[in-house]
Amino acid sequence: MRPNDPRILRHRRMLEMRAFDEACLEALRRGEIHGELHTGINQEAIGAAMAESLRPGDAVVSTHRNHFHALAKGVPARALLAEILERETGLCRGRGGHMHPFHPPTNFSATGIVGASLPVALGYAQAFRLRGEDHVAVGVTGDGGSHTGAFHETLVIAGARRLPLVVLVENNALAISVGFGDVSPTATVAERAGAWGARGMLVDGTDVDATAEAFAAAMEQARGGGGPVLLEATCTRARGHFEGDPDTYRTREEKRRLREERDPIALHRARLLAEGVGADALDRMAAEVRAETARLLEAVRADPLPDPAGAALYLWAEEA
Amino acid sequence: MRDEPSPGTRAALPIPALIAEALAGEMARDPSVLLLGEDVGRLGGVFGASRGLLERFGPDRVMDMPIAEMAFTGMGVGLAMAGMRPVVEIMFADFVGVCLEQMVNAAAKIPFMSGGRQRVPVVFKTAGGCIGSAAQHSQCLWGLFGHLPGMKVVVPSSPMDHKGLMAAAIRCDDPVLFVEHKRLLLSKARDSLQGAEVPEGEVVTPIGRARVARAGGDVTVATLSLGVEHALRAAAEVAPEGIGAEVIDLRSVVPLDMETVCASVARTGRLLVVDEDYLSFGLSGEVVARCLEALGPGALRQVGRLAVPDVPIPAALPLERAVLPGPEAIAARLRAMAVGA
Ligand SMILES: Cc1ncc(C[n+]2csc(CCOP(=O)(O)OP(=O)(O)O)c2C)c(N)n1
Repeated sequence: MRPNDPRILRHRRMLEMRAFDEACLEALRRGEIHGELHTGINQEAIGAAMAESLRPGDAVVSTHRNHFHALAKGVPARALLAEILERETGLCRGRGGHMHPFHPPTNFSATGIVGASLPVALGYAQAFRLRGEDHVAVGVTGDGGSHTGAFHETLVIAGARRLPLVVLVENNALAISVGFGDVSPTATVAERAGAWGARGMLVDGTDVDATAEAFAAAMEQARGGGGPVLLEATCTRARGHFEGDPDTYRTREEKRRLREERDPIALHRARLLAEGVGADALDRMAAEVRAETARLLEAVRADPLPDPAGAALYLWAEEA
Repeated sequence: MRDEPSPGTRAALPIPALIAEALAGEMARDPSVLLLGEDVGRLGGVFGASRGLLERFGPDRVMDMPIAEMAFTGMGVGLAMAGMRPVVEIMFADFVGVCLEQMVNAAAKIPFMSGGRQRVPVVFKTAGGCIGSAAQHSQCLWGLFGHLPGMKVVVPSSPMDHKGLMAAAIRCDDPVLFVEHKRLLLSKARDSLQGAEVPEGEVVTPIGRARVARAGGDVTVATLSLGVEHALRAAAEVAPEGIGAEVIDLRSVVPLDMETVCASVARTGRLLVVDEDYLSFGLSGEVVARCLEALGPGALRQVGRLAVPDVPIPAALPLERAVLPGPEAIAARLRAMAVGA
């Protein structure tokens, strides 16, 4: 196994992302995270694919399910986890929490309002154009967000202006309990792209190799002045919509099948093994990642919570 | 032999089940009543407030919607103008930002703009309030809709009112915003300090009448929603110290029942407004101003407001606690205000 092989790196990134969300689950069990925590377990391939083609100046505007996009953008894992655990040392000093991480140095932000990520990404794209920078703005949404007015309006403007925007749709086929097939007028999101003069692309988002290639192509087109791309990556959600969701709208059998058959890490591992990568090496890598993440969680857990005396701070520029 | 429900069975009902009873009752009574929103059908609502309705009334009357609030809020307006009585669920109050246009410029204005000739009997049902979910999933926003004319703003607190006010909202010929509190939606009838018993049959609570939730002679506490529970806790805490707090559940922001508030303040001379919405330009200032206008500036010996101090709700729990008017803060304020009582 060559450690610098991009396919191995991809695999490692997926392991890191899963370990990160598993650390969040552990912190949640200990009562250190509040509100509706959304994990991305089973959606790691998309985050890992993004990480390969995102450059420091690019922007990512993400959703309520944002951890992997933040890691892909290069947001420091420690400060991200500290924010999720509501610590003073977090990205936003514990004010934002898991749904609202902001990291200006990497042009990363997110929103808990579905669909609201896209117009903000549009703004980044316009700024890059105005300043003549070759950065790309990536607006992420789920399939649910693809039905919003903001999605349509964003693509109208991006399409007309040929802006450097990639709209990345993580289609996990569910918006809480509402099935994509039950409310979408089209079989895919990607096929709608023509309405806005955008390029539509559809990829199996559980196949990290295919997704990395597709995302790279989308970024290249947007960066090269070819106008917006609507990239749809199909995937599945392994857990409830949020932690605490009884998830009664799916059968146990269905969830078991998703975890066994559409787990992007297991799929990629099988591919690597078939190509002759040793199981031992992959196991060692997994153990290493788990240990690193456990150390990270322990470090963050020792960080202080914000002082209640500062509860009203940071509304105004002079307080920052 | 019939199975009698054992006493207390209904007290174990989650609050959302009481809302579901009201919805089911109104849907059975009036075929024009519909429910639309995200996750209201197959899931039965994210809090369970429409559980069983899809099975009972079918997908034409209980419609799962895509995340397209602007369209389905406006759809509610159109359905209402076309003679139906839609209940439109906007999952959390914070999300009104994406469909405010249809609420404010259509639902709330069309009855007036039509010279009273066009009715828009739509109910916008939404959940507000803090449960540790940070700035974009915690707001109450009833003050905002109190400020914008044209919509009744109904805010239940007791188990009974979750059922009775929902039924009344559906029967109301005006547009109604119905704001539940998430913390109450996560509780059971028996958790309430305001009585757990709610009849199985029809309950319709008239909109616009406040309720004295606890009598007392020293300080009037005007509040609503979860604030009533907090105020009752605080009132019980200070009672042994000889402080009599009269707790008033306003029940609606529009109309605002100042008669009940003023009658109490005329006796106590002290008014504390407790509001989980933002402090400035909102309900608390409005109640104080109307009270002064009605009773004269000399009527109040003490006046106070406890509300969120004009900041978004922070994520970290110690910070959230610091900005919310909880029982401890209310009790402390009652003690301070009762000096000389
Ligand atoms: C405007 C708005 N409406 C509703 C919600 C509540 N909500 C949060 S996530 C979600 C489902 C989102 O589905 P999707 O976009 O497919 O993303 P996924 O959760 O599947 O990742 C809903 C309805 C919200 N946050 N914002």
